[in-house]
Amino acid sequence: MSMLVVVTEAVPPRLRGRLAVWLLEVRAGVYVGDVSRRVREMIWYQIVELAEDGNVVMAWAASTESGFDFITYGSNRRMPIDFDGLRLVRFQPEGMDDV
Amino acid sequence: MAYLPLRPIPIKERNSMIFVGMGRIDVRDGAFVVIDEVNGERMHIPVGSVVCIMLEPGTRISHAAIKLAATTGTLLIWVGEAGVRLYSAGQPGGARSDKLLYQAQLALDSDLRLKVVRKMFELRFGEPAPQRRSIDQLRGVEGARVRATYQVLAKKFGVSWQGRRYDPKDWAAGDIANQCVSAATSCLYGVTEAAVLAAGYAPAIGFLHSGKPLSFVYDIADIVKFETVVPVAFKIAAEQPRHPDREVRQACREVFRSSRLLGRLIPLIEDVLAAGEIAPPAPPEDAQPPAIPEPPSIGDQGHRSS
Repeated sequence: MSMLVVVTEAVPPRLRGRLAVWLLEVRAGVYVGDVSRRVREMIWYQIVELAEDGNVVMAWAASTESGFDFITYGSNRRMPIDFDGLRLVRFQPEGMDDV
Repeated sequence: MAYLPLRPIPIKERNSMIFVGMGRIDVRDGAFVVIDEVNGERMHIPVGSVVCIMLEPGTRISHAAIKLAATTGTLLIWVGEAGVRLYSAGQPGGARSDKLLYQAQLALDSDLRLKVVRKMFELRFGEPAPQRRSIDQLRGVEGARVRATYQVLAKKFGVSWQGRRYDPKDWAAGDIANQCVSAATSCLYGVTEAAVLAAGYAPAIGFLHSGKPLSFVYDIADIVKFETVVPVAFKIAAEQPRHPDREVRQACREVFRSSRLLGRLIPLIEDVLAAGEIAPPAPPEDAQPPAIPEPPSIGDQGHRSS
């Protein structure tokens, strides 16, 4: 079991409701929970299938150097990059993307 | 857009229980919500991440919400004042015929039943049951030990105790210690019933207890009762709480977490039944396999919507 955070943007209400079946929506589109790897993978499957044109990031506590790992769906100004083995986020300039 | 099935997750990975005391329970955008009609407020309940939802007097629940709870394998229990049971439904027992027949076989054969009862005794008191005793005799030994345990706990927490006395129809009639014990045991029975169902067994087929819809639930809950909820109940009773039931629930949730009870219950059930030393019955040779096999699930074996 490890802590899980999901942030959604511009996703259909159907996905938002589905996430609220297991997680707590603490702010609009921000979901928190404490789940096992299997449940996290099941939740990610739901996200990929239901997010349509929206974008989503899911982060969870993990035994990496930074103490967490994350995965993204869809496009966003913030894109994950691999920086010598450390996963960071690069911002695209404003106006480059829809979000 | 494809239909995406919703399936239960194992009960050991969930929170123990949520009590809902007022409002209309419905489904919005596929999520379980409690709507306060007076203020128009909505509260989400992560229905798939709890073992059981206790519905207290003052709640109304829609068909869609019942369906969602069933799909996520979450037990709904309709309870009375302070969580003491009035009526329950949500998941009928015995989703697995092989498990049900196994449990029934153990309960029907007097030698096997005695083995199971002796195992319960051993798990409960941490020592083997005395030799060559009937189930009735074991029940007598157990009753004496239980009364003594109540006395010891009452003394430890400085609570006056005149025995376990309560009126199931009138919760407020009991003394404060009995009220706390009643509220605490009903929490334990709720999660235990959910575990029995999730494991695929029948709550009514008991070994020490019999003749009640929850006989097997009482059998299993009694094994862990005095290490979990009873000390909690006495501790709260000693503090002269203003809202005993609410404080007992919080303390129960904490003791369920610290004792890892939800992860232990299903293995405990399997362990007790395995004392009969028989294998679950194999399907008959002429049995027809299901026309539509169940898809693989990450939930527990007794969950229906797997």
